[in-house]
Amino acid sequence: MASNLVKTSEDPDKQLQKAHLETFYYDNTIVRLFAGATTIWGLIGMLVGLTAALQLVFPALNFELEFITFGRIRPLHTNAVIFAFVGNGIFTGVYYSLQRLCKARMYSDVLSRINFWGWQLIILSAVITLPLGFTTSKEYAELEWPIDIAITIIWVVFGWNMFATILKRRERHLYVAIWFYIATFVTVAVLHLVNSFELPVSFMKSYSWYAGVQDALVQWWYGHNAVAFFLTTPYLGLMYYFVPKAANRPVYSYRLSIIHFWALIFIYIWAGPHHLLYNALPDWVQSLGVVFSIMLIAPSWGGMLNGLLTLRGAWDKVREDPILKFMVVAITAYGMATFEGPMLSLKNVNAIAHFTDWIVAHVHVGGLGWNGFLTFGMLYYLVPRLYNTRLYSIKLANAHFWIGTMGIIFYALPMYWAGFTQSLMWKEFTKEGLLAYPNFLETVTQIRPMYALRAGGGALYITGVIIMMFNLIKTTMTGTFQREEKAQAVALSKVYQDPKGEHWHRRIFERRPVALLFWSLIAILIGGLVEMIPTFLIKSNVPTISSVKPYTPLELQGRDLYIREGCNNCHSQMVRPFRSETERYGEYAKAGEFVYDHPFLWGSKRTGPDLLRVGAKYPDSWHFHHMLDPESMSPGSIMPPYPWMFEKVLDTTQTANKINAMRVLGVPYPTGYENQANADLRQQAQKIAENLKESGIEIKADKEIVALIAYLQRLGTDIKVTGGK
Amino acid sequence: MTALTIEKIHVHCEHCGDLCGQEKVVWHSHYFCCQGCQTVYELLHENELNTYYQLESKPGINRKHLPGSQKYTYLAHPDIMAPLFDFQDTHLAKITLFIPAIHCSSCIWLLENLHRLHEGILHAHVDFPKKKVSITFQMEQLTLRALVELLSTLGYEPEINLATKAIQKTRTDTGLILKIGIAGFCFGNTMLLSLPEYLDAQALISPEYKQFFGYLNLLLAVPVFFYSASDYFMSAWKGLRQRFFNIDVPIALGIIVLFTRSVFEIISGTGAGYIDSLTGLVFFLLIGKWYQSKTYQALSYDRDYQSYFPVAVTVIDRGEEKSVPLQQVQVGDQLLVRHQEIIPADAILLEGDALIDYSFVTGESVPMKKDANDLVYAGGRQIGSSMQIEVQKPVSNSYLTQLWNQEVFRKEPDSKVSSLVNAVSKYFTWGILALSMVTAVFWFFTDSTLIMKTVTSVLIVACPCALALAAPFTFGHTIRLFGKFGLYLKNAEAIEKMAKADQLVFDKTGTITHTNTHYAVFVGKRLTDYEACLLASVVRNSLHPLSQIIYRTLPVNSATYHPENFNEVPGQGICALVDGKEVQLGSDVFVLGEKQGEPGSTKVYVKIDGMVKGYYSLENTYRTHFPQVMRILRKDYKTHLLSGDNDREKEKLTPYFSELHFDQSPVDKLQYLQHLEEQGAYPAMIGDGLNDAGALKQSKLGIAIADQVYHFSPACDAILHAIQFSRLPTYLQFSKTSMRIVKTAFGLSFLYNLVGLSFAVSGLLTPLVAAILMPLSSVSIVGFITLAVNIKARSLFKKPDKNQFFS
Amino acid sequence: MSALYLLIGISLFVAVSFLIAFLWASGSGQYEDDYTPSVRILFDEKLQEKPDQQTKELNQITE
Repeated sequence: MASNLVKTSEDPDKQLQKAHLETFYYDNTIVRLFAGATTIWGLIGMLVGLTAALQLVFPALNFELEFITFGRIRPLHTNAVIFAFVGNGIFTGVYYSLQRLCKARMYSDVLSRINFWGWQLIILSAVITLPLGFTTSKEYAELEWPIDIAITIIWVVFGWNMFATILKRRERHLYVAIWFYIATFVTVAVLHLVNSFELPVSFMKSYSWYAGVQDALVQWWYGHNAVAFFLTTPYLGLMYYFVPKAANRPVYSYRLSIIHFWALIFIYIWAGPHHLLYNALPDWVQSLGVVFSIMLIAPSWGGMLNGLLTLRGAWDKVREDPILKFMVVAITAYGMATFEGPMLSLKNVNAIAHFTDWIVAHVHVGGLGWNGFLTFGMLYYLVPRLYNTRLYSIKLANAHFWIGTMGIIFYALPMYWAGFTQSLMWKEFTKEGLLAYPNFLETVTQIRPMYALRAGGGALYITGVIIMMFNLIKTTMTGTFQREEKAQAVALSKVYQDPKGEHWHRRIFERRPVALLFWSLIAILIGGLVEMIPTFLIKSNVPTISSVKPYTPLELQGRDLYIREGCNNCHSQMVRPFRSETERYGEYAKAGEFVYDHPFLWGSKRTGPDLLRVGAKYPDSWHFHHMLDPESMSPGSIMPPYPWMFEKVLDTTQTANKINAMRVLGVPYPTGYENQANADLRQQAQKIAENLKESGIEIKADKEIVALIAYLQRLGTDIKVTGGK
Repeated sequence: MTALTIEKIHVHCEHCGDLCGQEKVVWHSHYFCCQGCQTVYELLHENELNTYYQLESKPGINRKHLPGSQKYTYLAHPDIMAPLFDFQDTHLAKITLFIPAIHCSSCIWLLENLHRLHEGILHAHVDFPKKKVSITFQMEQLTLRALVELLSTLGYEPEINLATKAIQKTRTDTGLILKIGIAGFCFGNTMLLSLPEYLDAQALISPEYKQFFGYLNLLLAVPVFFYSASDYFMSAWKGLRQRFFNIDVPIALGIIVLFTRSVFEIISGTGAGYIDSLTGLVFFLLIGKWYQSKTYQALSYDRDYQSYFPVAVTVIDRGEEKSVPLQQVQVGDQLLVRHQEIIPADAILLEGDALIDYSFVTGESVPMKKDANDLVYAGGRQIGSSMQIEVQKPVSNSYLTQLWNQEVFRKEPDSKVSSLVNAVSKYFTWGILALSMVTAVFWFFTDSTLIMKTVTSVLIVACPCALALAAPFTFGHTIRLFGKFGLYLKNAEAIEKMAKADQLVFDKTGTITHTNTHYAVFVGKRLTDYEACLLASVVRNSLHPLSQIIYRTLPVNSATYHPENFNEVPGQGICALVDGKEVQLGSDVFVLGEKQGEPGSTKVYVKIDGMVKGYYSLENTYRTHFPQVMRILRKDYKTHLLSGDNDREKEKLTPYFSELHFDQSPVDKLQYLQHLEEQGAYPAMIGDGLNDAGALKQSKLGIAIADQVYHFSPACDAILHAIQFSRLPTYLQFSKTSMRIVKTAFGLSFLYNLVGLSFAVSGLLTPLVAAILMPLSSVSIVGFITLAVNIKARSLFKKPDKNQFFS
Repeated sequence: MSALYLLIGISLFVAVSFLIAFLWASGSGQYEDDYTPSVRILFDEKLQEKPDQQTKELNQITE
């Protein structure tokens, strides 16, 4: 019987103290810090995005400066908005709601502060390193290995702080939001570890452990789940807390929310591979991604409806309250995005949408609508409460809402339009069976106006954010900040009768969520290791193509320059098995071609043409001129020039290390080759320089551009190129 | 606004929201309907608990009828306390109380902030769906009695009775939830791992993956097979032991075959197995089970008199009062019964003015006057002053309670599974076995290597998943629908019984009439406003139920005078001096001084200033639409009336019933039902009081009518919210509709089975076909049912009433 | 495609760890009551209407 179990468990006096009503204080400082960071980084990230958007319309805005060329600031934009804006947003919401849901102050102010400053330092380092060209080229995981380690540490600190708080909670029931937070922590930790598995070559340079197809697979398993567990689950948690709070009514169906969570969590992790449809990936792996993406509609919409229905009968409230307005649009955007996503994963839709601006529109509906607007709603709700005052101006908030909404529309619509147009143009054939638009550039100039409009939409959205910042700052001025917020609750006493009596799972897990999580993490890691062993032992069974050879030292260096300049942000290296593509680019990609690609460089967007078969397509001189002044070769091109590559001398000090690293990763360079690598490198460079001389171009062989040309000319030449001119 | 205007418009009580009548109290410019409400408001106000009034407007519970101060004395008695606690030691105690009054978020908030009202209370935790609160408190600082009294003063009067503990035991089956969770998890993942198979993976997937996935699948199947599916094996086994093929036999068979064949295929490497179908099947089946097992956690359907009787009584032992647990009461004990207390056992009245309300026990609608040495029956409620009685019979076999000694209360409840489904499944199972036999024989002659394959395929496909889902989902939907409109079924079987019922037996008082509310018609010269005022001023000061009924018939705010030398002669009448005039009202003897004959009818004569003005005749008020309802029902059903009351309203009722019986004892009623069933009828009993308990239990379907569904109602299969009485025909009709829907669904699922079987017998069943067919059939069946029920419902029901708590 | 082993393995482990979490949650009565918690979260910030002396001091100290 529970009672005598309790009696023996501890002496009554201890129970008495335990059971007493305790007064404690919520830590609002940490919430304020994160809220501030959210807004500031949000603004910065969006401004960077706006710049990038404008550069696509006016390439001149690259100012021929290597640090702000599109290829380098696009990853800066994505990282800033995802990890700086949304990331800090998550922390803001979690640090506020978790304390209140657990009826307990955060476990440790020190950990909270480490979490905050650590995270800001990571972002800062990103802001510095990405423009400098330090990147792994893997989307949303561009940061180099030392920063990856830092991220791991800070994330663990966050988890530690969170679980310790959950453990000392005063409310026995874990509200559904907390489950979403837990899921976020665990999965993001695992994803980050697995995908950042890389071999350092030097400080700030590493090669992905996986090659080609496998690297792609891991990357998009991460890529999708990053969206799933960084942009979705934590925000669902926030939704389940802040929407009821803002509307002051319980969630429509709490049971549904519980089902929503578990259903989502049981299948979300599988949906990754749909990002690689029609790529060199086994058919069934792709289809599997599709099926699960489709299956995801159910739980996603369950959540959306639950969120919206919470406001049923309160629409009058919604009309007045800008906070609720923001939340309604956010939830609606979530619904749209989670419906569009699975649709995009359908093969025939994907055939059109992939590599186009449709995807850009899709992610921005999610980003601007769901994450952005929910964050704004949350901030408008939080700040007045933190300062124990009223919002400075409802009018301004409403203005922000409408401007922001217009922003989203003006962003999304042109992008959808651009996506369709370009994709159709790519696929259009003349009666004679020739490509209607053989010159890729035509398809770009066609959608440039759309790019302009999009930039306008972005600008609107940012204006809204600025209005919000003004409004919130004013608000803070009218009130006094409540650093410590008083609260009272009774500690969880052991005087507790288990609902179902004694059960094994009770004996093991009752009130030990941390132990539970610790062990399951250990399990995951051990399992991870166990599962990794085959990756090294079992010989990769990608059909190897005998003609596929490792890159020469010069090409390898050139490839690293390609990565440094972020060429993969605009150019794919993945010809899909469609006539429209083989006609335009040449033979479609085979899995076997990429076995030596650490990392893979398939890319995910074609702002410029695919480069898989660009090798030997043009003379070296063409590339020389094109890199120096794209317009000279293709008038109207929106590609920025890369003059610095003609000044800089190629850094060959790392060549040996790079060769060694590649060998470790299984690239068959003969032993000792690292010693003659640089010799070979110079030799090949010399040949290219002479080659250029013949076409009347004077360039020293040790310049970076030479290495890049070497790489470009090698691309896709390993297997006989048929068709494609 | 000025006080005057407030007088004119109706003011609502700040606490409970009721209209403020005579006893209006004003405090801090807030209006209250009564002193009780005002006290609570003040209390909460002092303790900074105003939030109570901010969360919801006027959330309080009306405090007009406070429990007697003595009511909870018995809670001091250790023998009584001990079983009530969840936990108890020298310092701390934890108790879980059932509080019917819990109804809104304010209630939750206040109860969970009790510690602010009394430092003795450490922690209070509300379970809203179950209307329970568990309170941890310190015994030194706060006795249980004090705690309960505190709750009562706040209006949250807990329901404590001998059955309380039993009621607490009823809980949702978390085991089922676990099973579903595991099945669902494994289903999702096995489906994923089987996907390569679906796309005829030979070409695409290399053998080592095949194996890897195969074994992962197997791993995932094990918990489903051994844990999630266990119920089906057990129930099938039970069925077989009783030599009877219930629906679970073919299901269990299918599951076992699925599993064994998959194991064989995967281990021998001959195929991918049907693990995904297996897990999916179990998952869907469990979902159905869960959906059907919708229960109203705050209601209880199996209460006996113990839930109605007091936990303890006041025994007078050599002049001193002490409270004694009811079980310890013995014949010869002298008991003290106070106002509103219940007589626990048949006894003889020793002294005191006994005015006893038997309405809940016998159906006798008007309180009875008893004199010394009269026999008073257990279950009666004393009204007015307190009385002393001497126990004659042990509690358990008094006139009323011996009802529960009837064997009907001992017999086991009949089998849970739907009889319709069972009937079908019997033939179904035989059919399957026969078919597999035939298949075996056929392939023996054509290609004996395929025997195992085809036979197992037959058993797999035949697994009646859709069939097994049809009934649960239809009934699940129906239960929810009924709940939305105020009929709360105990379980799904009730629907089937409703559909079967061919005769309806009604109780009178409290069932077709409103519970103890009468309507008083004044017969005689119309009273002037002045006379009305005089009369009102008198009756207002009387506790007697009749006085209160009369008071209600008089104009509002008419009690303007203060009566002098007020004298109430119990069981006789009242006389008082009002505004100098002598007002008399009461029985014929009391007022007129002579008997007026006409037995049965209840009349209250009125005499003002020496002049007989006439009399009030008291009549039952029938439930709204009673005549219409009965007219509809008589078309399809034979209707009976069993009243414990006298037959004074016989002629009024004859048009509505084919048979009427009055002065029925509880046992009479029970036997009447038995008699009906012996004649082969399938009767449903509709009643409310304890006196109907036997009949409700005996009948095939017992429906208890209640004004407050959370308060006591005798054991039954369904509880009907009194205000929904008029919907009775609709419910009965709809139960038939849903049975029809089930049958149609069966038909559909048979079609699916035929399709599947055609694959199976011809040996063409691939995992893919199985994996598509099974979910497809289940989903489409469930879809069909949902659609059908909702469409039918829309045509039969109107908008739901506001005052429904479940949805 | 050996990376698939890795991904499936890891995904499975994540999934299973959550399954365990689920078993704990429903086993330990977390979901006994699936309504009240949603109301309960609406009750807080009650004490900030008029912060007492101690709170004021605390806020000044850190000011």
